[in-house]
Amino acid sequence: MSRYAMVIDLRKCVGCDACTVACRTEWDVPIGHSRTWVEQNVMVGEFPNVNATNWVAQCNHCDEPSCIPPCPTGATFQKKDGSVVVDTELCIGCGFCVEACPYDARYVNPLTNKVDKCDFCEARLGEGLLPACVTTCTGNAKFFGDLEDRNSVVYKKVYREGAWRNENENASIGPNVYYLGTPEQLEIVKEKFGPRQSRMATPAEMWKDVIKPLVFTAVAATFAGQAVAFFEQLRKGEEPIDE
Amino acid sequence: MSITRREFLKRGTLAAGAITLLSNTKLKGMKKYPTGWKGRERVQEIPSICEMCFWRCGILGNVDKHGKLLKIDGNPIHPLTHGRLCARGNAGHKLAYDPDRLKYPLMRVGKRGEGKFKRVSWEEALDFMTDKLKKIKSEYGAESIGFFPHGIQARFFEHVMKGFGTPNIVEPAFAQCRGSRDVGYKLTFGNSVGSPEPLDFENTDLMVFIGTHIGENVFTGQNLQFAEAISRGAKLIVVDPRFSVAAGKADYWLPIKPGTDTALLLAWMHVLIYENTYDKKYIEQNAIGFNELKKHVKDLTPEWASKITGLPADLIVETAREMGKYFPKVGVHPGRHVAWYGNDSQRGRAMAILTALLGSYGRPGGIYLSSKIPAPKYPSGKNPKPGPRADGAGSIYPFGSRGLGITNGLVDATYSEDPYPIKAWIVYSQNVLQSIPDPWKTKEAINKLDLLVVVDVLPMEQFLYADLVLPEATYLERYDDLYTVKNAKIPFAAIRQPVIDPLYESKPGWWIAKETAKRLGLEEHFQWDTIEEYLDYRLSGLGVTLKEIQASGIVEYDKGTPYYDFSKPVKFKTASGKIELYSKTLKDYGFDPIPVYEPTDDVPKGYFRLTYGRSPVHSFARSQNNEILHGYMPENELWINKQVAKKLNLLDGEYIQVENQDGIISSEIRLKVTPGIHPEAVYMVHGFDQKSPFLELAYKHGASDTYLMSRVVVDPLSGGTGMRVNFVRIVKNGEPIMIDGAVSVVSQFKKTKKGDAPKRHIIVPEVHEEAEASDEGC
Ligand code: SF4
Ligand code: SF4
Ligand code: SF4
Repeated sequence: MSRYAMVIDLRKCVGCDACTVACRTEWDVPIGHSRTWVEQNVMVGEFPNVNATNWVAQCNHCDEPSCIPPCPTGATFQKKDGSVVVDTELCIGCGFCVEACPYDARYVNPLTNKVDKCDFCEARLGEGLLPACVTTCTGNAKFFGDLEDRNSVVYKKVYREGAWRNENENASIGPNVYYLGTPEQLEIVKEKFGPRQSRMATPAEMWKDVIKPLVFTAVAATFAGQAVAFFEQLRKGEEPIDE
Repeated sequence: MSITRREFLKRGTLAAGAITLLSNTKLKGMKKYPTGWKGRERVQEIPSICEMCFWRCGILGNVDKHGKLLKIDGNPIHPLTHGRLCARGNAGHKLAYDPDRLKYPLMRVGKRGEGKFKRVSWEEALDFMTDKLKKIKSEYGAESIGFFPHGIQARFFEHVMKGFGTPNIVEPAFAQCRGSRDVGYKLTFGNSVGSPEPLDFENTDLMVFIGTHIGENVFTGQNLQFAEAISRGAKLIVVDPRFSVAAGKADYWLPIKPGTDTALLLAWMHVLIYENTYDKKYIEQNAIGFNELKKHVKDLTPEWASKITGLPADLIVETAREMGKYFPKVGVHPGRHVAWYGNDSQRGRAMAILTALLGSYGRPGGIYLSSKIPAPKYPSGKNPKPGPRADGAGSIYPFGSRGLGITNGLVDATYSEDPYPIKAWIVYSQNVLQSIPDPWKTKEAINKLDLLVVVDVLPMEQFLYADLVLPEATYLERYDDLYTVKNAKIPFAAIRQPVIDPLYESKPGWWIAKETAKRLGLEEHFQWDTIEEYLDYRLSGLGVTLKEIQASGIVEYDKGTPYYDFSKPVKFKTASGKIELYSKTLKDYGFDPIPVYEPTDDVPKGYFRLTYGRSPVHSFARSQNNEILHGYMPENELWINKQVAKKLNLLDGEYIQVENQDGIISSEIRLKVTPGIHPEAVYMVHGFDQKSPFLELAYKHGASDTYLMSRVVVDPLSGGTGMRVNFVRIVKNGEPIMIDGAVSVVSQFKKTKKGDAPKRHIIVPEVHEEAEASDEGC
């Protein structure tokens, strides 16, 4: 078993956006959207008593991802290594997971109409490469590895150096992107970049945006049976979707 | 049948149905990854070197089977970057595939500035240029030709120019950038620090930055060393009126009143000397002039400096003590882009003297020494003896570099025809209107020319005024001269080789130079047939062939210690052979032998000092049209102090204009209201508001700092242009926002320029959409 994780050392990060550009070119992420994003020099305080941090974020590949339950097709799922990925063949671009993610880590790619997000560079890992952002980081501030492996760099940083998880009262779902930083930096992160509450789609929205069009497609494709029965049931709202 | 939602969500029964449904209908033929994963389509990884900035990190171009560049990665064996690249390096392919690129040679048909051209063949273009050059030379002499190069690709053309006989070769890297610092260090240690700065951050215990903003001014290798030093626990002192990214990592941020750095440096020396915490042994062994220095700084106490700099005296003492504690492992960064106030060489001197007092020049943890790389020099023919220079390097400005020249000196000379007329400019990958201050004067100088040739990749602003435009291949499409890096602990040489074929009719610089030389009868300067043959010749000194290093891109050389061995007496390359705390050379030229704090003009009431700097996603004024980088930062912002903004009722994010002391009004720029800037200053990232309408993305975005620099104070030692001597006030909805009691200072300052008073509004050339011009696709 493995549990992939990343550690970002904000003490080293300079907020240069090399990582996000590398990610963009690796995965053709369209301008205006991001799999990973950076905010440089986020300041608090009054002149001349100022503190700041840079901020780097992406999908956290959470232990209990909020993005999986609302997916009507099962396109979003968690792999054995703990990473959360989107099967684009299944994704219908409904965007419910985008709303559900408390870290705003997902977007609907306008070119493909599929949801996209960080997948820890699954394809690169498959070829024995590290994620693109880790490889290019100009501050050597991003670390990737397996938390189950006691010799991994992330194990050391999480369990020995005490890397921190970005959770709060809005969301506590076990993010696997960890942070190291000075107390001042982590204070700023807590104040400005903590997760929001998950927004789950209501059954009515689900019907309007996804299921109805799906049914029509389904009928056209002579697919009916259990699906229709299920959709019907959903439409009646017998079961709240965000239970 | 009742199906619960939970069952639906299990990727089991019904979900399986959904899979069938979807894959049968909507998604037929879709690949698993949205647009295919580039890694899988890659058939070749070609090593080369980046040129998104001059740092030239190692790259690997990932090319597919059609020869298309998919993505640029870092070259993992590069000794300084270890496979890392900055944002710009990662976005480099968008330069090659920029639809606005110069595609064919163009000849002007309209008036200068109109941007009307016709497409011509290379043959015609080169014949035209060389005929004109010969004519100008026969009438006015070779020195009437000015050459403005940038980058290693321009080196070949430089051989043509030298062979043709002009002494007037000028680069902004000196007078608008690091020239003054190199003068200061050279006068002190006998060596300029050079580039990349040989800072031994690997071993340093304390880093000292004065205006240096690593993290925003990103050079991948230096950035990496900086981050590792921070992570090792090295301390950091940052002196900057702005809370830079580096300041955010600093143990001490000294938000100094802009223009007063030399006072701080002198007070630091005072503390080190009078508290007896400088490196006594190093100074005794290696330096001259200590007693004079000691006397000189006697009264320059922290209290004295506190009044000038606005910094608390105890903070000045405390930071000096930190240096006293950690010397010699103190890395005082000499800075880059330091043409600030016109007294910059003396500030450079002060930084060098501080470095000497800390004993850190040529020692671990300080500044290490550069090494030699035994690649043979260019096999040039004999160059004619050039006439006197027009730019003032070595004459009016006695310490101005004769290698890099003084751009503004040559612009002045062209404008005033003094000491002699300049009739032609060849501008090669420089953006003369956005890098040299006072662009009005530059434009007027251009008007005096019989010939302006622009060699470039993109239709930058000066393109509009060109008589002839030669499209160069991008750094991804050509061979260049061998890049030798001496300022590295393990010196190395790297090759630039084509990753893709040149697009359109663009040609590599070496080809343009060779063809030009042929037409000018200068073949003896190009005694090689192919570029491969030439590179083999240079690599022969390192014992390798081009073929042998084409797969790696890099060859390392020598691993000697890059520090002085103080067990024997060390000879420095100064006049005295010692580190010169007191400079007799300066004294002989009539300058202060030890740096003196010279105040710069104070900020007039109601105005702010205009400061500028860099962003990690842009290079100078060069990258603003890059699709990805433009996406990250389409325009710049104006930083203004939060309390000041509150007083003036200015809001974060609102668009304003600024008006400078000469009444020049900028384009609109968004305000960034922040606690992180000195109340006296405003700040913007350099390089925006480009005025070439042929740059679709960069055109008219943000505001240009250069266009607000109608005033410069020239450094009398180096000839560099102090550019932080311009003052602006905020203009909102056409009305200036005045602080109570403030008066306009329009024309209150003595003009330091010879040009006519600048126009109140910036004139932007109109686009002429004639069928003829747009056929060229420019
Ligand atoms: S960060 Fe968001 S998208 Fe990523 S696993 Fe967690 S909930 Fe899902
Ligand atoms: S590349 Fe590294 S240093 Fe730069 S923003 Fe990303 S994480 Fe930070
Ligand atoms: S610092 Fe960035 S732009 Fe400059 S050479 Fe390196 S990768 Fe290229």
